[in-house]
Amino acid sequence: MMKGDSPKKIFKMGLWEDNPILVQIIGICSALAVTNLMINSLIMGVGLIFVTALSSFTVSLLRNYTPKHIRMMVQVLIIAAYVIIVDIFLKAYMPEMSKALGPYVGLIITNCIIMGRAEAYAQKNSPIPSFLDGVASGLGYTLVLLVIAFIRELLGFGTVFGIQVLGEWWTPWTIMIMPPAAFFILAVVIWITKTIQEKEKDNEKGQVAN
Amino acid sequence: MKKSFSFPIIFMALVTAFFTFILAFLNYSTADKIAFNQELELSEKLLYIFDIEPLSNDPNDINQAFKDNIGTIKSDGGDLYVYYGDNKEILGYAVPINGSGLWGSIDGYVGVSADYSTLLGLEFISHSETPGLGGRISEDWYKEQFRGIDLTETTDGNYIIYKPASCGNVDAIAGATLTSKSVSKLLNEDLEEFIKREVNK
Repeated sequence: MMKGDSPKKIFKMGLWEDNPILVQIIGICSALAVTNLMINSLIMGVGLIFVTALSSFTVSLLRNYTPKHIRMMVQVLIIAAYVIIVDIFLKAYMPEMSKALGPYVGLIITNCIIMGRAEAYAQKNSPIPSFLDGVASGLGYTLVLLVIAFIRELLGFGTVFGIQVLGEWWTPWTIMIMPPAAFFILAVVIWITKTIQEKEKDNEKGQVAN
Repeated sequence: MKKSFSFPIIFMALVTAFFTFILAFLNYSTADKIAFNQELELSEKLLYIFDIEPLSNDPNDINQAFKDNIGTIKSDGGDLYVYYGDNKEILGYAVPINGSGLWGSIDGYVGVSADYSTLLGLEFISHSETPGLGGRISEDWYKEQFRGIDLTETTDGNYIIYKPASCGNVDAIAGATLTSKSVSKLLNEDLEEFIKREVNK
């Protein structure tokens, strides 16, 4: 590897092989909290992609100058700054979005994925791959959130993105919009992913043996 | 890298100063815009309470509708928003309500008709209830239920009663019992206080 990983590899890792939620099991807190409506999940995901990508980029830019023992302080500072920028931007130019997001903007800062990527990737790689890595991890997070939110919103409200899909005959499952359902569905999704990934690994091994 | 004592401190100070400067600049340059948005939002919400439809969602139309219909008067509890009819007669008041919800304080206004007999509408300015659960108090289906509630039937201050209790007039939110209760409690308390104060004046 001359100049870091190829974009294809970065995205494959972030979206599937090393997906923050499904494989690393981080960022679970917000995944459980915001997935009762798809629109909430989408906004949260977009915010996270923005913050993760740019903070990874900045951390990577500064990585050769940052003294090792204060690097975490610097990372937190950078992440906090970007979250506040998102907050100010939304308030000023997208007040509707800002209202819908409400407390979620602040929640972005506590998301382990951002710091995780800064530590695990941006600290060791050059800015552009770090930026892509942030986008990939954020996308991986967003997609999983959307899948969980789709199931919860559909069964809990009978809607998708607020649009009524299931008719009057549908009895909403109230448990789906309550916290327990998030645990169940997240567990099932992780279960399915693990099963598929195990199979993939077995296949690869089989090919090598042959 | 050589371990020096002063470099990390200087480095941290520089990075902090840099980001603080950017944030301060952004904050300063958007302050007017944000204040404008917030004022507009309040106008919109007060119009909603009195069920007035501005011509469009354009800021100018909203401000015009606000100017035409709503004014403020001084009262014991501070400035009070008043709903004026076409001939400047008072049609209703926007009573500020606040109290604690499940996670934080809930602030809002409730519209009361000029003879204190009918609830005109309800709107929340800020709350921090769980999105998707208690947060649904700011959804239209919940707020619309409060329009036209008769305030003269009760004498003990229980204006809002959730169904299916007897005399219930509003549906609570499933899965958000505590938030629903908080809303009825703060509404009942603040309404009673306002009506008593104004009627006995």
